Amino acid sequence: MEAYNTFRQEDNVLIHTRLLNAPRELVWEVWTDPEHIKEWWGPDGFSLTTKSMRVEPGRVWDFVMHGMGRDWLNKIEYVEVKKPSKLTYRHTGERSEDYNFTVSILFEELDGKTVLTMKSVFKSKEIIEELNKKVNAIEGGKQTLNRLVSYVESLAKE
Amino acid sequence: MAQTKDIFQAIADPTRRQIIGMLAGKSLNVNAIAKEFDITRQAVSLHVQFLNDCGLIVIKQQGRERYCEAKFEKLNEVTDWVNQYRKYWDKKFDSLESYLAKIQKKKK
Repeated sequence: MEAYNTFRQEDNVLIHTRLLNAPRELVWEVWTDPEHIKEWWGPDGFSLTTKSMRVEPGRVWDFVMHGMGRDWLNKIEYVEVKKPSKLTYRHTGERSEDYNFTVSILFEELDGKTVLTMKSVFKSKEIIEELNKKVNAIEGGKQTLNRLVSYVESLAKE
Repeated sequence: MAQTKDIFQAIADPTRRQIIGMLAGKSLNVNAIAKEFDITRQAVSLHVQFLNDCGLIVIKQQGRERYCEAKFEKLNEVTDWVNQYRKYWDKKFDSLESYLAKIQKKKK
């Protein structure tokens, strides 16, 4: 079963796979119904309000996440909708168009369970590398882990 | 759902963070590390083993002593965006999985 829970990077694509113990129709439903999706989507400890959701190509899911003392507006645009086997959407609203990325989720049946494959497609491999480099600068102030890394590195340099 | 020991688990623990800090700049043997803590040498040894298992430190045999050395490249993985993304979705899939279990249980 572990073999289905994987992650890899292929060029400009990040690929997650996961075997879920539920029929495909139900998995599709929890991705496409506001009442379901709010139960698991978003960072832990955040709550979620859907302003509107139309799971159709060219339509959007407009939602707000509440957490860390503020509201976070989000918009996802659906690109491809093939119930119940494939859902593609685009994250928009990043400061730069370059950082927007498209996510394709494949739902495949396997003995009453569902193999989920999530492919996050970025503009280029270089964009991913850039994000890797930048994340320190962006998150540095608020992330304990990052602080730890710089602390330890500064010790190492002494 | 058993996962192998990962770097995030490794540094979630304050004792292990302290050990990493101690190993910055110099390698130490387990006894020297244990001296700094109020917990038993065995407990320290387990923490050291944990750090070794996830690649944050390497243990080198020098004569009769086992010396621990930190591997900082590995620590950088934590801040790597791809790894954060990976970790984030791993957690989300966990949430999705338990939610699916919950609603299926209700239906029965």
